[in-house]
Amino acid sequence: MGTLVIENVVAGYGSGPDILKGLSLTVESCKAYCIIGPNGAGKSTLIKTIAGLLKPRSGRIVFKGEDISGLRADQVLQRGLCYVPSDRSLFPDMTVKENLRMGGFVMRDSRLVDQRIDELFVQFPILKEKSAQLAKTLSGGQQQLVAIARAMVLKPEMIMLDEPSLGLSPKVVQQIFGTITGLRDQGLTILLVEQNARKGLQISDVGVVLDLGTNSFEASACDVLNDPRIQELYLGKRHQTEAAEECQ
Amino acid sequence: MNQILQILMLGLCLGGVYALMSSGMTLIFGVMRIVNLAHAAFIVLGAYLAFWLFKLWHVDPIVSVAVTMPALFLIGIGYYRLVFARRADNPRFTDLTVLITFATGLVIEGVLAFFFTGIYRSTTPVYAQKSFLFGDFFLPQSQVYATVISIVLIVSLWLFLRYTRIGNAIRATMQNRNAAQVVGVNVTWISTLAFGIGLAMAGASGSLISFIFTFYPAKHVAWIGMIMCLVVLGGMGSLMGSLVASFLLATAAAFVNFYFGASYAPITFYLALFLILLFRPQGLFGKKVEG
Amino acid sequence: MAENTVNQSLTTEKTFLQPKKGNMWVKAGIPLAILAVLILLPVFQIVEGTLNYWLHMMMYIFLYVIMAVSWNIIGGYAGYVSLGHNVFFAFGAYFAGMLYLSTRISPFVSAPVAGILAMGFGMLFGLIALRTRGSTFIISTIALVLLVAELLDNWKLTGGTNGLAMPMIALDGRVAKIPYYYYLLAAMVLCIIMAYFIKHSKFGLALRAISQDETKAEVAGIPTRSYKILAFGISGLFIGLAGSLWGSYLTYLRPSIFLTVALGTSIVLNTILGGKGTVAGPIVGTVIMTLINELVVAKLGATELNIVVTGLILIFVLLFFPEGIVGSLKSANKLPSFLDWD
Repeated sequence: MGTLVIENVVAGYGSGPDILKGLSLTVESCKAYCIIGPNGAGKSTLIKTIAGLLKPRSGRIVFKGEDISGLRADQVLQRGLCYVPSDRSLFPDMTVKENLRMGGFVMRDSRLVDQRIDELFVQFPILKEKSAQLAKTLSGGQQQLVAIARAMVLKPEMIMLDEPSLGLSPKVVQQIFGTITGLRDQGLTILLVEQNARKGLQISDVGVVLDLGTNSFEASACDVLNDPRIQELYLGKRHQTEAAEECQ
Repeated sequence: MNQILQILMLGLCLGGVYALMSSGMTLIFGVMRIVNLAHAAFIVLGAYLAFWLFKLWHVDPIVSVAVTMPALFLIGIGYYRLVFARRADNPRFTDLTVLITFATGLVIEGVLAFFFTGIYRSTTPVYAQKSFLFGDFFLPQSQVYATVISIVLIVSLWLFLRYTRIGNAIRATMQNRNAAQVVGVNVTWISTLAFGIGLAMAGASGSLISFIFTFYPAKHVAWIGMIMCLVVLGGMGSLMGSLVASFLLATAAAFVNFYFGASYAPITFYLALFLILLFRPQGLFGKKVEG
Repeated sequence: MAENTVNQSLTTEKTFLQPKKGNMWVKAGIPLAILAVLILLPVFQIVEGTLNYWLHMMMYIFLYVIMAVSWNIIGGYAGYVSLGHNVFFAFGAYFAGMLYLSTRISPFVSAPVAGILAMGFGMLFGLIALRTRGSTFIISTIALVLLVAELLDNWKLTGGTNGLAMPMIALDGRVAKIPYYYYLLAAMVLCIIMAYFIKHSKFGLALRAISQDETKAEVAGIPTRSYKILAFGISGLFIGLAGSLWGSYLTYLRPSIFLTVALGTSIVLNTILGGKGTVAGPIVGTVIMTLINELVVAKLGATELNIVVTGLILIFVLLFFPEGIVGSLKSANKLPSFLDWD
């Protein structure tokens, strides 16, 4: 049971106002969730709070039956919950391989880390090709791939991706979404935050709309895609028919 | 020609020591974005420690590295925990650290002056007065030893950063603090450790300079001036940069010393600083202007 | 978007901080009374002849108030911390001193010129150093002090480390301090008035925008670079002027008096203790620190402990009261109105 349960979580930065105002959400295992919502709705804050980078002010986060709210980031990672930040957050002056090794930082067994990296090289041959290059010399899409692979080193049960399409060209976005679909098919639970709401929902099972720090709407991704209000707000009218077709 | 070679050798011979002095400050800035203006004061503290070990128990100042490094390491950890650890998220953190560490330097200076007065000190092991002679050239033994040990320490630091798990975590934190957190590095712990290591380097520098320079409590002002120039010239936070800058400026200062007189040598450093600010504010190895 | 937020927050702040016109006289009463006492103090000296120590103390405070209030313009309003403002002080002193020794033009005459030249020098330095921000800028200001100190130590024309000797003023010891006293008092009052008007001008508003978020200020159309350079220059004006008077008052000029790093720091400490960026803060901070220093030297008799105390107070204030006395009182709504000029 890789279920993640978020109960009435309140969170914010420093002494600032609450960004999440009592948010509740249940993420069932082996499903892909796409979180959409306007700027400032608290999408990234939610992911950071789950990942242990931000302490919730109140509320509980339970993963696989264990309360993980208030754990440090490394402790959350060790429980199989990984996070890919929106700025990709690579180590610019390290090679691709070193970046992947850092992905296994919380694992003590360095041979196991190398073994995992070799497995990932099979899955993503392009990374093997570039393994000796410095991360800062890669293209945006390749960097995103490294960031995802870096999270995969830990063989997580659940992966959270914050705006993986940010700043990438449509063609590259397509590839990245293909990769994410691949992860879903491997049986990973996926929590995706996406500005590109339509694309995100297309590869997800469940759509969640955040507004003003609470969960305002939750339904199957298809229903969200077809909901007229959502279409008007986040998807743009012209996609209406397209979306309906894609859902078939 | 021989003369120029001789000056070059003398300059390079001091370069290693300068590199050791600036390496700790660079490490501390790189990992924590703390501009440690108390660094030279900690070096002077280390030098006094070496001085009293030498005077009271005749501990060779080179051997005293084994004491000054751990001592300053512990001081560094305590100082970081006490003053900085809980403030690392302050948006004005770097500016704040400049003033706090500067004030700390003054406090150390005052305390040292109160206990040990302003008398000029230095340790005097037998090799302090001897020179290596080969052909037409000479090199003071003390400077050779100090530079060799400095280089050994810097290489060890480099190996540690490069090939150990904790060293990797330190490097990762230097390159991208956020990303380090994302992959599970406990950056608070790493920062504390790095501050300790940075000050351990200051402690070692203190032991080594105790027999190549004279020192007194207020001496740290001149040294911090020099170290600052090396760190900025190298591009704040780049270890390689400060290493190159150290050898470059040590040699330049040796030439200025020879042609214009010893009292002009420090000016070399400050002029280099302003030239670099004028033409390349990000320093030789820096990436961008620090915000 | 960014533009709006900056403008909005600043305009609301400005109207909020505008002093109310009604209680102006009540508010100005205490400062004016203090000024009256300061103006009358030398009269008692002439009559009684026992106040020389107090005159000296007061002049010392005037000098440090000038330095702190001036520093506040770049360091407080614009947020660019300089640890090298005593360079302006040395600049004024050496300029007026050397001019006097070669042409016999009195520092009393040349002081304003020294101030203006110091301002020009500041802008020149700013042209180079203000290309950087944050810590690199602070470092460059320390390097400036050290560089100028080294140069003056080695320059034959300025007497190197021995410095220059100036003749004593040709007046009886009973009244010798008085011309300096009034000159410095006038300079201090002008300096404070200038700082007040800058704070409440559009220029001051722009400087505060720079200190809050320079990138946003730039986006909002503020010529940040030239404003910073101008602010840095202005902050040297009265310090240069005071320097030329102080050199002649001391009768000797030495790098070890004018160009210590500790002096540059104490300017910063005084301002931060009182309240960085406020009009009254630098004055309050300077008076308190001068009294503390007098106490430490008098009671403990050790200058070494003096810098320990300076350093510890600075650390303490930075960690626990970064807003300073005036700023903290204002936040708590407990600031007496006669100190509230922001």
